[in-house]
Amino acid sequence: MSQTHNGKMALSATGLGKSYKIGKVKQAVLKGVDFSAYHGQVTMVMGPSGSGKSTLIAALSGLMKPDEGEVIALGENLWKKKRGKIDKFRLDHCGFIFQGFNLFPALNATQQVEQVLKYQKVSHSEAHRRAVEVLEAVSLGHRLKQKPSELSGGEKQRVAIARALSKMPSLIFADEPTSALDSVSGQVVIKLLHQAAKERGAAVVVVTHDPRLEAYADRVIHMEDGKILSDNMVSEPPVLA
Amino acid sequence: MAAVIALAVAGLLVLAMSGMFMGMAKSFTATVDKSPAHVMILPPQAEGLFGNNSGQPRRLIPTIYQHPDVLEVQPLNGSWAFWSNFPKDGQPAKGDGVQVVVVDPVKGAVTLPTDFSDEVIAALQQPFTVVVDRSSLNKLGVKVGDKAKMNGRTVTVGAVVDGYPSMFNSQVFVSYQTGKLIYVVDEGQRVGPLVVKIKDPSKAKQVADELNAMSHGQYKAWTRDQLSKSSQKSMLKEGGISMMIGFAVLVGIFIGIVITWQTLQGAIMANIKEFASLRALGVSMGALRLIIMELSFWVGVAGLTMTVFLTSLVAFAAHSAAVPMDFPLFIVIPVTIGLMLIAILSGLFSLGVLKKSQPADLLR
Ligand SMILES: Nc1ncnc2c1ncn2[C@@H]1O[C@H](COP(=O)(O)OP(=O)(O)OP(=O)(O)O)[C@@H](O)[C@H]1O
Ligand SMILES: [Mg+2]
Repeated sequence: MSQTHNGKMALSATGLGKSYKIGKVKQAVLKGVDFSAYHGQVTMVMGPSGSGKSTLIAALSGLMKPDEGEVIALGENLWKKKRGKIDKFRLDHCGFIFQGFNLFPALNATQQVEQVLKYQKVSHSEAHRRAVEVLEAVSLGHRLKQKPSELSGGEKQRVAIARALSKMPSLIFADEPTSALDSVSGQVVIKLLHQAAKERGAAVVVVTHDPRLEAYADRVIHMEDGKILSDNMVSEPPVLA
Repeated sequence: MAAVIALAVAGLLVLAMSGMFMGMAKSFTATVDKSPAHVMILPPQAEGLFGNNSGQPRRLIPTIYQHPDVLEVQPLNGSWAFWSNFPKDGQPAKGDGVQVVVVDPVKGAVTLPTDFSDEVIAALQQPFTVVVDRSSLNKLGVKVGDKAKMNGRTVTVGAVVDGYPSMFNSQVFVSYQTGKLIYVVDEGQRVGPLVVKIKDPSKAKQVADELNAMSHGQYKAWTRDQLSKSSQKSMLKEGGISMMIGFAVLVGIFIGIVITWQTLQGAIMANIKEFASLRALGVSMGALRLIIMELSFWVGVAGLTMTVFLTSLVAFAAHSAAVPMDFPLFIVIPVTIGLMLIAILSGLFSLGVLKKSQPADLLR
């Protein structure tokens, strides 16, 4: 992805609906949500607990099929694809950062990153080169051989970011990436995500409770009770393609 | 790691148990294997050297000599005797039945086991001197040079030999002369198995066949190998031994599969979120399955290595305690294959829990 893509539509969803059945009661979690995200922008999704933010991300990223609506991701109708193809789409284009870091305890930082690249059919030497490069980019050049148990929370989250970024994804999804971190580490993490949007032209969607992160957002979306309440463009409006 | 240990313990269990029984089975026939005789004559219905208490008529001996290739025919004498030690201060008194084996203490004699050293032969030549297996010393409550009582007569333990341990009664070797003095030589009309030396050892099989052809059903001639195998078999058939081996194998497989499976599954469950995050990043289910199978393969290899290590420790310990152990290939190979199979099966069983790795669960 290059600078030139910035401002183009990366993700667009219309009429997303999803409800969970708990016993006999059907509870609507997403109620006809329209959503879009652009290359080169950090889109922040905020809202009270239980408002459906995580569910929205899951539907946008191909992790969980919505009951209604469609998602056009990078020009492809995501939920029209077969499961294996959705896996492949995520492998090729999506990076994820979760609240938990989800690193394998037995692997060191470099191996965590290499492991994913291996499935992208990147050769071993190339994977190693890229792993080191991206770990250096998140300022972990001095922690290449450390295992998760020897890393701080902020460092672990940076390894997880490195793992997501090393794939060169054009869509990056982060669900509460900073809520397990202190504010300094949190700043580092959001700066890295911001950087990925600006330098690589990735579309970054961040779910957060933390109002301090708004400073890095190009756009802030507020959700409540399965609906979008407000949608504020903070920085320059994207040039629509 | 826990899975590796479980697997190794299972392997050890199976190998050690069967190794011990094979060792016993082998020691059971040590007298046959180490006999210089080429052909042995037993009653027609006998399957092994032992358990034919009725014996066979002494008049068979001259009929065997009729075969032109036969050099020497001797009856294997031996019977049961009562043994007691002379307990020294604090030592418990031991009284036990022993199996007396009468040999000719002359080099090359057809009844003398081939591995008896000159010293042992010299010791046997002394009247009232006996030779026992090293592993029996404790059971009999004696050391070399000690005196003991057999059937009421005092004897001296002149030497020890290795490799004649016995599961049941200890074996005591005596000369013909000593055997007579302690009343174990039976000079009646019935004799025990006959051992035969022939002119050309390579013709043992042929001579045995020819002897059988002229036996008129009065006896059966065996070559040493045939008898050794048949004795082992008949021993394994009876006495619940094969049942115990079978039981050990079952327990081993059970422990192996259940524990290995459970620990593998536990290991996957412990990392289920990590697997889910790989799923989220687009790694397919098939690729994750491959990771698990690869893991269980390596668990199998590690478990095998550990089994070899543990078993050799046990074998070594058994050796120093003079407990016979034997690991024939026909046991080792199936155990090796079995262990790998257990590991792979455990891996397959564990694949189910991968379904729990729902990447959407990571979004909360
Ligand atoms: N697997 C599920 N089964 C049933 N109900 C679910 C499931 N996942 C989520 N929900 C419900 O859906 C609603 C929205 O969940 P979601 O995780 O999207 O909220 P959220 O906005 O991310 O909240 P938070 O800020 O606490 O993370 C919640 O009320 C939750 O109880
Ligand atoms: Mg959430």
